[in-house]
Amino acid sequence: MSAHNRGTELDLSWISKIQVNHPAVLRRAEQIQARRTVKKEWQAAWLLKAVTFIDLTTLSGDDTSSNIQRLCYKAKYPIREDLLKALNMHDKGITTAAVCVYPARVCDAVKALKAAGCNIPVASVAAGFPAGQTHLKTRLEEIRLAVEDGATEIDVVINRSLVLTGQWEALYDEIRQFRKACGEAHLKTILATGELGTLTNVYKASMIAMMAGSDFIKTSTGKETVNATFPVAIVMLRAIRDFFWKTGNKEELGDEWLKPELFRIGASTLLSDIERQIYHHVTGRYAAYHDLPMS
Amino acid sequence: MAATRAGPRAREIFTSLEYGPVPESHACALAWLDTQDRCLGHYVNGKWLKPEHRNSVPCQDPITGENLASCLQAQAEDVAAAVEAARMAFKGWSAHPGVVRAQHLTRLAEVIQKHQRLLWTLESLVTGRAVREVRDGDVQLAQQLLHYHAIQASTQEEALAGWEPMGVIGLILPPTFSFLEMMWRICPALAVGCTVVALVPPASPAPLLLAQLAGELGPFPGILNVLSGPASLVPILASQPGIRKVAFCGAPEGGLRLLIQESVWDEAMRRLQERMGRLRSGRGLDGAVDMGARGAAACDLVQRFVREAQSQGAQVFQAGDVPSERPFYPPTLVSNLPPASPCAQVEVPWPVVVASPFRTAKEALLVANGTPRGGSASVWSERLGQALELGYGLQVGTVWINAHGLRDPSVPTGGCKESGCSWHGGPDGLYEYLRPSGTPARLSCLSKNLNYDTFGLAVPSTLPAGPEIGPSPAPPYGLFVGGRFQAPGARSSRPIRDSSGNLHGYVAEGGAKDIRGAVEAAHQAFPGWAGQSPGARAALLWALAAALERRKSTLASRLERQGAELKAAEAEVELSARRLRAWGARVQAQGHTLQVAGLRGPVLRLREPLGVLAVVCPDEWPLLAFVSLLAPALAYGNTVVMVPSAACPLLALEVCQDMATVFPAGLANVVTGDRDHLTRCLALHQDVQAMWYFGSAQGSQFVEWASAGNLKPVWASRGCPRAWDQEAEGAGPELGLRVARTKALWLPMGD
Repeated sequence: MSAHNRGTELDLSWISKIQVNHPAVLRRAEQIQARRTVKKEWQAAWLLKAVTFIDLTTLSGDDTSSNIQRLCYKAKYPIREDLLKALNMHDKGITTAAVCVYPARVCDAVKALKAAGCNIPVASVAAGFPAGQTHLKTRLEEIRLAVEDGATEIDVVINRSLVLTGQWEALYDEIRQFRKACGEAHLKTILATGELGTLTNVYKASMIAMMAGSDFIKTSTGKETVNATFPVAIVMLRAIRDFFWKTGNKEELGDEWLKPELFRIGASTLLSDIERQIYHHVTGRYAAYHDLPMS
Repeated sequence: MAATRAGPRAREIFTSLEYGPVPESHACALAWLDTQDRCLGHYVNGKWLKPEHRNSVPCQDPITGENLASCLQAQAEDVAAAVEAARMAFKGWSAHPGVVRAQHLTRLAEVIQKHQRLLWTLESLVTGRAVREVRDGDVQLAQQLLHYHAIQASTQEEALAGWEPMGVIGLILPPTFSFLEMMWRICPALAVGCTVVALVPPASPAPLLLAQLAGELGPFPGILNVLSGPASLVPILASQPGIRKVAFCGAPEGGLRLLIQESVWDEAMRRLQERMGRLRSGRGLDGAVDMGARGAAACDLVQRFVREAQSQGAQVFQAGDVPSERPFYPPTLVSNLPPASPCAQVEVPWPVVVASPFRTAKEALLVANGTPRGGSASVWSERLGQALELGYGLQVGTVWINAHGLRDPSVPTGGCKESGCSWHGGPDGLYEYLRPSGTPARLSCLSKNLNYDTFGLAVPSTLPAGPEIGPSPAPPYGLFVGGRFQAPGARSSRPIRDSSGNLHGYVAEGGAKDIRGAVEAAHQAFPGWAGQSPGARAALLWALAAALERRKSTLASRLERQGAELKAAEAEVELSARRLRAWGARVQAQGHTLQVAGLRGPVLRLREPLGVLAVVCPDEWPLLAFVSLLAPALAYGNTVVMVPSAACPLLALEVCQDMATVFPAGLANVVTGDRDHLTRCLALHQDVQAMWYFGSAQGSQFVEWASAGNLKPVWASRGCPRAWDQEAEGAGPELGLRVARTKALWLPMGD
């Protein structure tokens, strides 16, 4: 795992002048999608890469230890072995980036992964997920308990009301406290962009979250009516780029950002879509439902 | 499990995460070329025309240089055959009701939809442009254009009553163009009932394919004829007696000029360079490239430009994922180019952006307007007030606020200054191919005897012709320039006679210097007048109307002296006053908002004044024609330099007396003198922004020739008289169209 983002002092001048041009971002999003397709081997390789970015997730009311166990095995063996062999990728150790569960299921996940003999990190949602509408005290406590149970990544949701009312200092302070509660665990801050109103707010919230020391910023919980969209991703990526420019880091959001330590896709059904595509690439046929193991 | 077929490279790509080729198969384009045995002729009257003994030019893949086909070059007789086919087709095509044409255009759109892959691969293969640009942009827009104009055709009888199609249109296309440029022009022409002969440069198969698709639709084979041939055929096409109008377009805009405010210069340049680094260039038929290549000639041009810019002190930044071999050229950002250097004056070639800093928005406007070009511009600012100020102030045909390059069939696209004065799309585009019903068709026989060098050059000297026996009080003497009567520079006068040949009086003999002064005065008055609200302008026109009515008896008696009956004279004065009031009222309802598919937010269709308008009035109707031309020009915010009736300028000078008291100085300037000489001075003045000429065919020909110097819009009567007392010809919609230009202001919204 990479080092933590130590964050910076709150500097409101970084966000005060920002205005995101909504129509222009939409157009850019369209452009990228139209101009950056990958085909054949490139598609297969990129899809496998995407597997390594996935936070394989289950966040349901009916989660029990048995389906958590299944999920953990799927995280370890995300793509059928013979398919990987056909691509000569079987020795690359392809697993998903993490397994993501509710705090009460962290113990199950840690146990299952240990049994499977792998060191995939367990991520726990916390801090009043998904709405964030609980007391700060209980939100912080939730984080501490999840870390105690063995979660090494904490997915927190931000308090949207602070964004919508422009209380940036308060937002910074809250995330700072999350950061502290995480201890050595990674802090992944979910912005719930579908509820922030404007892309300008998305940019500002991203910047505040990074200043406060988030290791990742994520688009959404999957529980809002609008979740991850391409335009939102563009705005967040630009915020990350600006943050690194401002903090003196020379990195840009290029290929060097495409590694699991720096880039994640939170998803539950994406993996099976990818596996089907890989199946098609390798065999030239579309897979039957029963051809691929369930998670 | 099924057999495996994976390639070996996935492993490397997994680590490198490079992009791979996304090749678009051009097999269908080649197969289509095969149907012509790799030899393209011309498409005339629904058939391929492949005459013998013609030169041919190879059509090459601009990237590999591979020979794709050979293209026959047309000769004069092929042009004549095509024009004749279009002329015959016009009879049937224009006689059908609009709905029939609408159906035909819709069917053509459907055919394009069905064969779009062929169209986009062929276009990309031959031009080297990125295939997704053609596929997602041009082909879709081509269909939208056909659908939009089909709707216009179906409502033509009601919406365009009083207008009729011009006839056969000759269309001339530049060496590098997209077939879309042709669609922008042929769709409105075909919709209103015209037929087209398009002369395309050698080796442009896409227009031929379009003509074939249209021709194979059946009942109207000759409405679209496409010839390919050298530029030397242009005058031959233009002088065909069957051609009623010639439309031509220049090479599409290549590179860009970028003005960045100094306070954000560093940040903007950094982001620009960062983005440029991520651009991918490659073969046009690759679906994952941002830009293709445009052939060896374009590559030479840009190499030369960049080398010269560098030698003139500019900084050059190049980046992007670009193949190193010719004819690929990386996206290039040129900065610090001294404004006075030669490279700063010429057109920027593709794919170059020249960036320069500015201090204030006002300065940006001055810089942006300080070029002879006036096509389109975009403004990027998050401050609405500032963006609108710039949007309204830019002298261009299209302004996008916080967007760039959007187009839609319902939005008129055009330009001003040297970017031309014709319009494509929207209602404005339709009028390009219409003429008021009953007016004679364009006479294309130009006089070969007219000597442009000497027309109106010398002023015949005028001598005293005896004592004046005009009525009293004597009309004011002098040229009406800058709000007052001034003595002419030549210090001489010309006699004016009445209808019975008696000396009526003397008027000042104006010359080149007086024209210069009048144009200057008009320019000074222009910003203030154009900035007035239409209501304020109307109020002054109404005040002038009232003044004319007060002076009715004097004006009527002067008209009587010119041979009019008293009743008719009084009617002319009354009608003149009515005209002033009518235009004042009409101008209040100009411009409107358009709603465009796929765009959130409005597009404003603005009607802006042309600027300084020169008007040479007809000899007949000395008062009514003068006022009928003056009223719309002023109502729409232009300032004018007018040459009144040569036979009787005294009426205009009477009106000047009232203008002196009612109008601000310089709004309307009236110069009397030798008609041809003044016409020459005005037509050759580069800072006259539009010109109307009502007089002889020779004078019209001269005005049109001379105006090519600054490409100002010209309206010339070519010796045909107009019925100024009739509503249609004296105050009809044609005047309203010609008196202002359209600007499209795109305002995408979203927060």
